Amino acid sequence: MSIITISRGSYSMGKTVAEKVAERLHYDIISREVLLDASSRFNVSEIKLKKAIHDAPGILERYSHNKQSYIAYIRSALVERIINDNVVYHGLAGHLLLKGIPHVLKVRVNSDLERRIAIVMERDRIPAQEARALILEDDKQRRKWTHSLYGQDPWDTSLYDISICIDKLTIENAVDFICLAVESKEFRLTEKNKQKAKDMAVACRIKAALVDEYPNIGVTCEYGNVLIYMKGKDQMTGKLTKKLNHIRENTNGIHHLETHAGIEPPPEAV
Amino acid sequence: MEPLTLEMIMVMAMIGLAIFLFIVEWVRVDVVAILMMVTLPLLHLVTPKEAFIGLSSNAVVSIIAVIIIGAGLDRTGMINKLVAPVLRIAGESSSRIIIAISVTVAIISSFMQNIGAAALFLPAIQRVSKMRKIPLGRLLMPIGFSAILGGTITLVGCSPLILLNDLLAPFNLEPFGLFDVTPIGLTLVASGILCFVLLGRFILPQGESKDIPEGDFAEAPEKTGSDTDQTEFYELKTPDDFTDYRDPVLVEDLRRRYLLNVVAITEPPDFKIISPMPGMEVRSGIDLAVCGQKKDVLRMAADEGMKLKEDLETYKDSLSSQTSGTVEVVVAPRSPFAGKSLNEIDFQDRFHVTPLSVYRQEETYRAKIDDIVIHVGDVVSLYGTWKRLKTLQNEGGLLFSLPSDMEEMRPEKALWAGLWLATALVMIMGFKIQLSVSLMTGALGMILTRVLTIDEAYQSVDWRTIFLLAGLIPLGIATENTGAAAWIAHTVLNIIGDVSPLALLTVIGIMSTMFTLVISNVGATVLLVPLVVNMAIAAHTDPRMAALVVGLATSNSFMLPTHQVNALYMGPGHYRTVDFIKAGALVSVVFLVVMIAMISLVYGV
Repeated sequence: MSIITISRGSYSMGKTVAEKVAERLHYDIISREVLLDASSRFNVSEIKLKKAIHDAPGILERYSHNKQSYIAYIRSALVERIINDNVVYHGLAGHLLLKGIPHVLKVRVNSDLERRIAIVMERDRIPAQEARALILEDDKQRRKWTHSLYGQDPWDTSLYDISICIDKLTIENAVDFICLAVESKEFRLTEKNKQKAKDMAVACRIKAALVDEYPNIGVTCEYGNVLIYMKGKDQMTGKLTKKLNHIRENTNGIHHLETHAGIEPPPEAV
Repeated sequence: MEPLTLEMIMVMAMIGLAIFLFIVEWVRVDVVAILMMVTLPLLHLVTPKEAFIGLSSNAVVSIIAVIIIGAGLDRTGMINKLVAPVLRIAGESSSRIIIAISVTVAIISSFMQNIGAAALFLPAIQRVSKMRKIPLGRLLMPIGFSAILGGTITLVGCSPLILLNDLLAPFNLEPFGLFDVTPIGLTLVASGILCFVLLGRFILPQGESKDIPEGDFAEAPEKTGSDTDQTEFYELKTPDDFTDYRDPVLVEDLRRRYLLNVVAITEPPDFKIISPMPGMEVRSGIDLAVCGQKKDVLRMAADEGMKLKEDLETYKDSLSSQTSGTVEVVVAPRSPFAGKSLNEIDFQDRFHVTPLSVYRQEETYRAKIDDIVIHVGDVVSLYGTWKRLKTLQNEGGLLFSLPSDMEEMRPEKALWAGLWLATALVMIMGFKIQLSVSLMTGALGMILTRVLTIDEAYQSVDWRTIFLLAGLIPLGIATENTGAAAWIAHTVLNIIGDVSPLALLTVIGIMSTMFTLVISNVGATVLLVPLVVNMAIAAHTDPRMAALVVGLATSNSFMLPTHQVNALYMGPGHYRTVDFIKAGALVSVVFLVVMIAMISLVYGV
């Protein structure tokens, strides 16, 4: 009874590992569905969303906040998907998007570079040099993306509970480890953890509803008590109040909603 | 006209920098002033001696003395004693109460710093509001505005006027006397109060009065923002199996989860604890009293299987208004608590009182209030026993609406305090002794006759005000010395062409009003006086009057809650910025019209 995210380098067999884990544990497996959900819920094309979550923000995008909006949408869609538990997610940035939910087992699957090159060469029928360049460029983009949005390096093993390199260890080994790890007490679903996931879903919904107009706000939710943090001194305008009232009425799970203007959002805010 | 020199450009750049920093507030205003004090001599725009001349100026010494005298008067408790007779005279009508208190505040403010007078009266006004059932919002704004307007009654009433004579000195213009501005100031106060008496119902928010009965606590509603936000006291009993098969539930858990403050709890077998610590465990089969909104109490009772009692039972006595209660305290100017989060202050551990909510600028904060950094003017609701609350009140830094009978007051010294104030005034008026010398004599007299100790006198001085004044004075000198003031004045006059003296004074008045709203009143005065004196000389208008308009109009700060007094009263009065814009716009226009009319009447411009 838990949630597993599998983060992977491209062509690292991560997808296969995810599928096998899901099969063995009888869990649902999700990846692209999240983008489809976000696309239909927020009316943004899937390509734009995919670009937002894959490519590092360009110089201009750093100021346009579009990317932030798309990521908020994706995050909201993802949290809604995992809220029912027993899920393996092998899409991008799961470990970062689900930060704050305690019973998530975060796995990183890598593979030896030469092996990755071989896979690309065979799949795309391109020479080794080109395949190597493709993979390295992809890795660079991922690094830049994580760094620009979360200030972290995706290759930093401390971000994950388990990091497995498929080389001497086989896919089967990896599946064994993951299935063993998920049995541990820390990843079991408790009332408290369930509440945290629910709270996270509420916070993400609110952030997604506000991010277009207020890209820099932070939202936290604890037991249904929602706090909205704004950096600005006093930006309480009628427009925001109206919007918040609308959100309060149309979002389930909100007991209390408060705006803390001029207060730095805490690190756990979405 | 002189050509534009490099020095002039540098001075103008420094002025631009100062204004920019005043507006963006990356650093505090007094730090901006010190920056000017240090940078100007480094750029050779003033001599090192001129850079620090502000610290020994008449204005700065006068303001130190005024602050000490004000603190002395405060110590005697004399001012608070004034409230009772004033109210007797005022009778029952709310207009008369507004007039009576406003006039008293204005007169006191004419000899004290405006913010000091405003802070001093706040607790008394809160009591009056409660006693006479007049909404605080209807009282505070007129009285706050009167405190600001009162600053224009004498030359020591506010920093800009204290500065004025020093700024006129380089031009060899005759200095103003202590009461030269009095007719204008009194008319301004009168017209300000009149605005509220006649048009109050249109320009003031019409809130409900805070109607708190003395009797049962369970019925004491506390107004925090809108009417749906009412918090009350409820008593509940935990089930016998409350702690079975679960993690311990702490007092702070209930707060985080249900936004309910546990104000009393039983520790088995039957120890009743008022204002329990956040880390205390909630046991099975015990009674607890919480303060919060009914919907949250019902939610907790349902979720946790607690039984909600119809009335207070176990805690009927311990929560009775005889022993404990809720107070709304306002964070005072220069409070040691300002700038700290509630977590850092730790009211619970240090004073055994429970913070319930924080009110700031139209928002009531109830969730995660521990992380909130409190500012001057914030209203914090606290629950505790009266004894504990009084200990906190003694600590200072928070304005309580409780009558302060135990503060270290020295009423027996009231006579001495009054005497020394009178001595200072006689020295100024009767013997024409310089302002700073006379006021310092009064301050020293109070110290010698032990109205306050020398340490208390030092502590009362607000170094921010001192350095703001002293640091900006060299900027004024540089503007004048380099000819930048004359250059700007001529350029402006060339653009606007020939104008009548009255029109020029009006323009100066509007300009000063606009400056004072964005940069501090002291900043506006220091920058504008050299400029307008040059303009007036070039336009053949009385330069002293031009300077006086600046000194007065920099008090015309009503439209935004930027003035310290407005900022202090905004929280307790539950005002929104738009309330200040509405009432302030009217008072500002009236101010300008009355000021110009009175100057032309008194000085025949």
